[in-house]
Amino acid sequence: MADTDRRKGLTAYLLMAPAVLVLALFFVIPFYSLVAASLYEPGGSDKEGWEMTYHVGNYVDAVQDYWEPLWHAIAYSAAATLICLVLGYVLAYAIAFKSGRWKSLLLVLVIAPFFTSFLVRTLSWQLILADDGWIVDTFQFLHLLGDDGRLLGTHFAVVMGLAYNFLPFMVLPLFASIDKIDHRLIEASGDLYSNPVVGFFKVTWPLSLPGVVSGTLLTFIPAAGDYINAELLGSTETNVIGNVIQLQATDAGHPNTAAALSMILMVGILVMVLVYIRKAGTEELL
Amino acid sequence: MVAFGGLSAAALKLPMFGIDAIQACADGGIAKDVSSSERDLIISNWTGYIDPRKNKNGTLAQFEDETGISVTYNVDVNDNAEFYAKVRNQMRACEPIDRDMIILTDWMAARMIGLDWIQPLDKKKVPNLHANLIESLQGKAWDPDLVYHAPWQSGLTGIAYNADLVDEVGSFEELISRDDLKGKITLLSEMNDTMGFFLKVVGADPGDFSDTEWENALDRLKQVKDDGHLRQFAGNNYLQQLSQGVLVACEAWSGDVIQAQYDNPNLKFVAPEEGLALWSDNMMVPNYATHQTNAEAWIDYYYRPEVAAKLAAWVNYICPVQGAQEAMLEIDPSLAENTLIFPDSDMLSNTWDFMSLDDEQQQKYEGEWADVISS
Amino acid sequence: MSSPAETTDDPAKAAPASRSSYDGLRLSALSKSYGSFHAVQSLDLDVPKGSFFALLGPSGCGKTTTLRMVAGLETPTSGTITLAGQDITATKPYRRPVNTVFQNYALFPHLDIYENVAFGLRRRKVGGVDAKVKEMLELVELEAQARKKPAQLSGGQQQRVALARALINEPEVLLLDEPLGALDLKLRRSMQIEIKRIQVEVGLTFIHVTHDQEEAMTMADTVAVMNAGVIEQMGSPGELYENPRSTFVANFLGQSNLIEGTVTSTAGDVVTVDMHGIQVSVPAARAHTDGGKGWIGIRPEKVLIGAAGTELDAPGNTVPGGVVTDVSFIGVSTQYLVKMPWGQELQVFAQNTGRDRIFRVGDPVELSWRPEYAFLLDHSQDVNAGAEEAV
Ligand SMILES: Nc1ncnc2c1ncn2[C@@H]1O[C@H](COP(=O)(O)OP(=O)(O)OP(=O)(O)O)[C@@H](O)[C@H]1O
Ligand SMILES: [Mg+2]
Repeated sequence: MADTDRRKGLTAYLLMAPAVLVLALFFVIPFYSLVAASLYEPGGSDKEGWEMTYHVGNYVDAVQDYWEPLWHAIAYSAAATLICLVLGYVLAYAIAFKSGRWKSLLLVLVIAPFFTSFLVRTLSWQLILADDGWIVDTFQFLHLLGDDGRLLGTHFAVVMGLAYNFLPFMVLPLFASIDKIDHRLIEASGDLYSNPVVGFFKVTWPLSLPGVVSGTLLTFIPAAGDYINAELLGSTETNVIGNVIQLQATDAGHPNTAAALSMILMVGILVMVLVYIRKAGTEELL
Repeated sequence: MVAFGGLSAAALKLPMFGIDAIQACADGGIAKDVSSSERDLIISNWTGYIDPRKNKNGTLAQFEDETGISVTYNVDVNDNAEFYAKVRNQMRACEPIDRDMIILTDWMAARMIGLDWIQPLDKKKVPNLHANLIESLQGKAWDPDLVYHAPWQSGLTGIAYNADLVDEVGSFEELISRDDLKGKITLLSEMNDTMGFFLKVVGADPGDFSDTEWENALDRLKQVKDDGHLRQFAGNNYLQQLSQGVLVACEAWSGDVIQAQYDNPNLKFVAPEEGLALWSDNMMVPNYATHQTNAEAWIDYYYRPEVAAKLAAWVNYICPVQGAQEAMLEIDPSLAENTLIFPDSDMLSNTWDFMSLDDEQQQKYEGEWADVISS
Repeated sequence: MSSPAETTDDPAKAAPASRSSYDGLRLSALSKSYGSFHAVQSLDLDVPKGSFFALLGPSGCGKTTTLRMVAGLETPTSGTITLAGQDITATKPYRRPVNTVFQNYALFPHLDIYENVAFGLRRRKVGGVDAKVKEMLELVELEAQARKKPAQLSGGQQQRVALARALINEPEVLLLDEPLGALDLKLRRSMQIEIKRIQVEVGLTFIHVTHDQEEAMTMADTVAVMNAGVIEQMGSPGELYENPRSTFVANFLGQSNLIEGTVTSTAGDVVTVDMHGIQVSVPAARAHTDGGKGWIGIRPEKVLIGAAGTELDAPGNTVPGGVVTDVSFIGVSTQYLVKMPWGQELQVFAQNTGRDRIFRVGDPVELSWRPEYAFLLDHSQDVNAGAEEAV
């Protein structure tokens, strides 16, 4: 008996081995070297080499010098995630409950933008938000923008670009969740004295929470690391941490700063995600 | 990101490791030249930098016909720093990068030569280079005798504006201060290009400046940026935005502007009052290239005036070859007169060449530059 | 499509005083069509306050649709619904004093049992939730499960939660849509008793939908038999069984022998019918045909069987010349199939009292029944209606 148990244990480990190996190769080793690089003595160069002095100060310097792009990345991503959640929820809800036989067509339309490249999609937003584009004209007409006001190159443009580009990441998990909801439960809530609004918040919303959680994570995490939108739709005032990491790692030749910033971003997002999952209480929902 | 891939390879030296200084390769980076038995040549170049390769009468096809060398032409250089990051680990480990010729901009060429990553050319095998290189490109401090490099094409950095939308922008000072341009201009993200102009603006000589002058120039850049005068630092795609009216003016490379003018004649290139930066992208043979002789044949071929003219007629950058202007008369006389392809002495006298930096300076200036543009 | 609001606003159709004073649930000319398909057709139904009312009918006959209209989950195509004198035809579901126990329970999977039961109270902001929920859980014997999620309960327990969740609101009318359909036979029987007990205890009006005739008969005070969107007949279970008015009811509720005959005379309260040459009589109150041809109906357990030529102790309609073609002995009784001279096979259930001998296949027999047990149905109706749908 004990013997077969041990055999079973061994088989399990053997079965896990390939996954562990892949994980080690593609995650642990790069991660390890990232940690190492973030502790190099500053002032090294490719030519002179980089000395390992466990220079934790890299982190302090990185935060001091680049807190603004760091903050931008988080704030833009959070704002875009919120917009995606509101728009995506309405969209997913409509597709799941109200679209009838158009359901599959609408779903395809949601992911249709993915058939073109990310860059091309974002570039087209440059035109849409351009100073003489119709959106700016309309906003100016409505006095939401001053006569020399603009959208392109502002925080707003970056957030809109992110929201647009990541919307499908929100809609699909939301749809999967909402579509699964038994319509009769919503009827039951009506039968039990909930008007449609209360019914939504007491039944539909909690039942769609798994979709909300995975949708917000799938949107927030990549959006926080994205720098294409900030570069193409923003200005020099909207730099995000992705731009800085890229620049520091290549042109500037500061692998220590780039690595420290990457670590900060990674750990920061990880902590936020954990807190969020904890708060949403979805361990049992998922 | 490219950098992480590189870091992970180094991680094999566990535990917590540093990275050693670069050592010259013990064998001098020399590989056995098999040019005579293998008639091959592998080149890495930027996009849009050669006349159509499929054309039977094109320069590349003619080269292959004439020499029997078969050319593998890769367009995998998008950015100097990025290309550097791509080959850095193999280069420092004294391993071949499987290319016989790479084409990089002056400052990166200087850096790689300084790192001993480039093989010297056999002077006897490139007589056309030594005979025909235009004078203004001769005598670079980092390779005065053309031992390591041969300019492929050169360019001028100046100003472009959309004449449909704004009045002429005559100087760099205007570009960074005129109110009607505010928030609708870009500067180039290459440090040498943009800082050259800022050095000029603060009264320094980009070809020879002090640390204090550098700091003044950087302060001026910071100020312009903090004023919200800039839309972005751009490296590509800026002319498309200029043409669409998303931008009204920008710092620009001459060849890009000429090409864009075919689609939109409203785009104008200006030689600013401060002058122009003259730079080149240079052919070099990296360490452990196995077809150096073939690469030299290629260089010599492209330094024939009629070949250079044919190439220049298509690429629209500045042709570095003496005599190509005369040859151009037969292809397209209007291009022969275009000073953005064949600059006259007036124009050339108004150009500068960015100060040659050693590796330490390069790193310091690049770092400070990156701090300003990314914060 | 005429909206229900219009119908009720029309003065010509306004409910008369007697109607609005009715304190039960009243459906008047209620119809529901899906396109050209009429799921419910001009239904008139009175459900007295405090009664246990069963809506019985085969699958697809429109029971759920009727309930959903009462609950407000479906808008009637025409007709009105009044409850305790109030027209609620256009009232939103969440404003109706009506609760439903859904066919599939529809318990909220994200809430525990306690919160499921408390749901309605919380929405109405009623006080004393805790005490009420505890009391209700006690009633359905689920106190111990209060903090479990629905998925952790057995089918029968879930059913009771659904019942508790609806009952706790003390609605004017409680709608139960085949609440026992998903349970196995044994559990179903005990839940039937349970629900009946609770109804008696709380004294609310229950409308119980089922297609199980036995369930309807054992639980309800009043049963309405529904077929293809209309109510065929309504009454107490005994009344429906003893005196069905249509072949559908006769076949759907229990079994019936239906024999073709021609009315020959109507004298006083007796109708005489010629049945393949034999004169049989039927009480006029049980004759539901206008004369001419008809179906004489008699329940198999009301038919007496005897050897040919013997004197049967049932004075009444006697039919000779039968031959036994099938015998099934099932303990308490024996079921025979008897072939009559005109070719039809009749069913006979004989109690195994021990007094009579058990016949064998091929035995010549004669049948008889008391006239007061027979009924007469309209000949234009399908003789087999309801036979297949019956469970
Ligand atoms: N939304 C709808 N659209 C079209 N037809 C419908 C719709 N809902 C119900 N029907 C039809 O109306 C008829 C009555 O349906 P209903 O659900 O009331 O039957 P039921 O008596 O409850 O049957 P069961 O015993 O199987 O539950 C059925 O024929 C059904 O197909
Ligand atoms: Mg039903």
